[in-house]
Amino acid sequence: MTVGNKENEEFAPSILVFSTDSISDPGIDLAGSSHLAYPSTVSVISLPCSSGIKPKWILHAIEKGFDGVFIAADGTDCPFLPDCTTRTAKIADTAQSLLKEKGYDPQRVKMGAICSVCAEPFANHMRNFFNALQKIGPAKKGGGKDGI
Amino acid sequence: MTERKVGVYICHCGGNISDYVDVHKVRDVVESEDGVAIAKTTMFACSDAGQQEMIDDIKEQKLDGLVVASCSPKLHLLTFRGVAKRANLNPYQYVQVDIREQDSWAHREDHEGATEKAIRLVRAGIAKVRQSQPLKPTEVETVKKALIVGGGIAGLRAALVLADMGIYVYLIEREEKVGGWASKFSVMYPHDKSGKELIGELLSEVAKRGSKITIFTNAELLKKGGYLGNFDITVGIGGDTNEAETINLKVGAVIVATGFDTYKPKQGEFGYGLKGVVTLPEFKAMVEASDGKLEYDGQQVKNVTYIYCVGSRQKADVENANTYCSRYCCNAAIHTSTLVSKVDPTVHQFHLYRDIRTYGKYETLYEETQKMGSVFLKFDEDEPPVVDSSDGTLRVRVKDLLTDREEIEIDPDLVVLVTGMVPRENAGLTNALKIPLGRDRFYNEIHPKLRPVETVIDGVYIAGAAQGPKNSSESVASALAAASKAAGLVMKGYTELQPLVAYVDPDKCEWCGLCAEACPYEAIEKSTDEQRGKEIATVTGMLCKGCGGCVPVCPTDAIQVKDYEDHTIMDAIDALLEEV
Amino acid sequence: MEYDVLVIGGGIAGMESAINLGEAGYKVLLVEKEPSIGGKMILLSKVFPTLDCASCISTPKMAETAHHPNITTMTYSEVMEVKRNGSGFNAKILKKPKYVNESACTGCQDCERACPVNVKYDEFNFDLVGRKAVFIPFPQAIPKVAVIDIDNCILCGACERACPASAIDFTQVPEEIEVNVRSVIVATGFKLFPAERKPQYGFGKFKNVINAMQMDRLLAPTRPFNTVLRPSDGKEAENIAYVLCTGSRDRTVGNPLCSQICCMYSIKQAQLILGALPLADVTLYYMDIRAFGKGYEEFYKQTRDMGVQFIKGRVAKIEERENGNLILRYEDIENGGRVQETEHDLVVLSVGLLPTPEITSIFKEEKLELDDYYYVKQVDEDLSPARTSIEGVFVAGTAYGPKDIPDTILSAGAASSEATAYMETTRRQK
Repeated sequence: MTVGNKENEEFAPSILVFSTDSISDPGIDLAGSSHLAYPSTVSVISLPCSSGIKPKWILHAIEKGFDGVFIAADGTDCPFLPDCTTRTAKIADTAQSLLKEKGYDPQRVKMGAICSVCAEPFANHMRNFFNALQKIGPAKKGGGKDGI
Repeated sequence: MTERKVGVYICHCGGNISDYVDVHKVRDVVESEDGVAIAKTTMFACSDAGQQEMIDDIKEQKLDGLVVASCSPKLHLLTFRGVAKRANLNPYQYVQVDIREQDSWAHREDHEGATEKAIRLVRAGIAKVRQSQPLKPTEVETVKKALIVGGGIAGLRAALVLADMGIYVYLIEREEKVGGWASKFSVMYPHDKSGKELIGELLSEVAKRGSKITIFTNAELLKKGGYLGNFDITVGIGGDTNEAETINLKVGAVIVATGFDTYKPKQGEFGYGLKGVVTLPEFKAMVEASDGKLEYDGQQVKNVTYIYCVGSRQKADVENANTYCSRYCCNAAIHTSTLVSKVDPTVHQFHLYRDIRTYGKYETLYEETQKMGSVFLKFDEDEPPVVDSSDGTLRVRVKDLLTDREEIEIDPDLVVLVTGMVPRENAGLTNALKIPLGRDRFYNEIHPKLRPVETVIDGVYIAGAAQGPKNSSESVASALAAASKAAGLVMKGYTELQPLVAYVDPDKCEWCGLCAEACPYEAIEKSTDEQRGKEIATVTGMLCKGCGGCVPVCPTDAIQVKDYEDHTIMDAIDALLEEV
Repeated sequence: MEYDVLVIGGGIAGMESAINLGEAGYKVLLVEKEPSIGGKMILLSKVFPTLDCASCISTPKMAETAHHPNITTMTYSEVMEVKRNGSGFNAKILKKPKYVNESACTGCQDCERACPVNVKYDEFNFDLVGRKAVFIPFPQAIPKVAVIDIDNCILCGACERACPASAIDFTQVPEEIEVNVRSVIVATGFKLFPAERKPQYGFGKFKNVINAMQMDRLLAPTRPFNTVLRPSDGKEAENIAYVLCTGSRDRTVGNPLCSQICCMYSIKQAQLILGALPLADVTLYYMDIRAFGKGYEEFYKQTRDMGVQFIKGRVAKIEERENGNLILRYEDIENGGRVQETEHDLVVLSVGLLPTPEITSIFKEEKLELDDYYYVKQVDEDLSPARTSIEGVFVAGTAYGPKDIPDTILSAGAASSEATAYMETTRRQK
């Protein structure tokens, strides 16, 4: 890894991003076409709308080994639901409580509005989240500082 | 082990991918994935040769799944769905994996990481394709008929254009006669056209269309059933709805053009109720009726003072405040003042305003009335003009911002309150159609910028001032726009609906209603499952947009969206995490 | 080739008309003279009064247009001639060479990086920055295909060598294509008022006087500098002035009309500036604030509450100080009409809209009439707003007068509706 915190170079947190087909995914694409670098341990699964993410998918991702989950929300640009931001925030909240119950640090879930041209904000979010997760440590098998 | 036979193609993109991602390594690793029958790299997957290679492979090897790892699906999803189609593979059994925009281009300094990520992403794509089912867009027959609610200028114009397109039209009007507000005016801006004549023209054209347009007056919409393109409408005709005779209409689309009401000032608001204080529509009628000279109460009118923004742009703390601008009133008041000057050029006219909003070409009306002698005084919304007649003389006091807030007194013969538009009382209709209202209590469009005539209810459109204040020509434009959308739905006699919609597992569902609440499109209803002897949720696929907003609210995981099911997503997550 | 409708112009009006007609089952040919569809809207930052990101709501419309089975899109092409032919029209279209094979180009921009020619002006960033002689118009372009600006190209072949798809093709020549159509929709949009025509405002002379479209680019998420910098010294602006009605409501420049959108886009930009530069002061010098559309007044009120200053007064003159700051002289109308002077470090001219009357010249034999202000004339504004002086030719969007986005969409719907009715009634008469 060339990106991230030098001290923890051995630990490259893996991040799962839930993006949306028509709004945040084009923004993430644009980060790539603008050649903005972010860690290669970031992977994206795209859905129609961020209000359709199940909190249990997030828990599943962390339990199976992702160190963090980022919800790239449609925000006010959502083509489906006028209250998309509120709904997505609620999903993020529920996921955080689920993680907490299982002894994970709720900060492993993060949400940010990513619009179709939000290339910079996305790359920044990824770098910052990556650094934050390096501090928290790996999620798998209680390797992190969760619960402290 | 799956029995699926998946073809995987990893694109070099002529170096755009392969300079950073070791595409051969990706191929070698994913080749042994469960279900992969063939894995290849390709220089340009999108080129004719690249496409042909896939088509040949699919046919020869009888593949039932296709994964192309190349650029963003925004660029080529449809290209490769086309490839699948040409090879007789269901296009929904194709998955595009983005290893360019979301991999090689974003991780140019990290070839190892980019290659590893490509492997994970392709594995997730394969996992997804293994779960894929052949899906087809649903084709729904649509009834080539439309219902228009409201017989004002917007409704009548929409009826005509639809009839000309070959669509049968029913028009229902609540009042005894069609024509609406326009039929009450004889001169309208900006071309001094007579509203009565315009309506007359429309009605004579309607008559020429014969049986293509059926008009019901004294009629109200009572109930809407059915679904997109096939609505069952119950209309009550004549008098009180309880005694009404009802008829049933089958239509493919509904256009709501119920218009507006004018704001009625409260007693005492800017002197309303005092002799000599009238609203703009009342004044307009007087001007139109004047025969060579303007009179009020038997006296010649020599001084008219207009107060603008009455009932519009109100402060939020006013009861039931209309905080919106009514759009048409500046133009209408100024146009009326030009008519007054034409009747009697010696009449003094004072306009007390906040902002003059003669937008676009209407600016020329503003210039014209100033040339004719109208005087404009600007007041501060915190210090509005005061109207009283305590000493027997009608008097307006105003602090004019244009002359250093000097208090000016005017003793007019008439005070004209430039009243705005308010939404029409339509509770029954709103309820029956379930169209949401905006903050301004006008009907709300689904998106204010790019979809101004569509509503969250598919097949139900809004036109004219029912959606928000508009003048007559703007109402006509919006009516034609709504007609165009209705035509798009019913013209061909069928419409295609995308198949990625929500569905319910009846075994898991214990009707709680949360999913129905979460759906603004009215796509989920309660139904009885006879076989299981319980109530469950049912999705009307035709109304579902596939957003998945209902999915996370279900406490029993009973509702899912096709292609985004629990197992699909969780398999993809697992595939992304597998050791490389 | 035969189509039902020829739509001239691929901005939101043209796209909306084309989609409506395509949905109703008609074959549409949409011709756009720029190398991408999308018009002006796709270049905007956000839109009022919802502050939706312009790209988020317009790219789906662009994609729908480009991929619709009933719509054929030709970019970088111009309609040269339209003539009546039987019950329809015959049109000649010039397809300009992009010097890039459209089906082979993958939009990777390797050519752009290889090109040694720096062209000073990037038309899609309103000349704030430069571009190369071979370029993708903007990130969301559809089609996402490079185009060579042959006037500036030095024919060095660097792009040809860099292109992994061998898509560069210098042998391309202009192509003339003839089509027969039953109906035509003119959706040629507007031009921005060239602010140089108000010399007293110093646009083009004073570096820190920019126009509002440039400001929209500075505020867009795909913006060139990533913040709002003033051009003279790259300093973040702290005290920004807007001069409304630049080139509108102004008989001295020959445009008495109100441009209908400048008040609102200036208010929108003021809000976005407060977001981008929280410490900046923003002042709008206006004549009347025309917040007349749905939700606009509420948006204006919100902006005032956020601390944006509104001063009623027409700016008479702008002068430049040595440090690049600007002195505005204006009549303070609400305070007795005194002449005041204030200093700002960046001035944005809220330029208005102008018509595109050139379009009339393509119509042969029959005349496409213009109104008193050189917009396409509506022959029956009251009942058939899209009808023009030529039967079967309709008009949509700002081609017939200033309009905001929702009104443009309505007018495009009116045009597609009237074109449909026209085609159906003439078909039945035959």
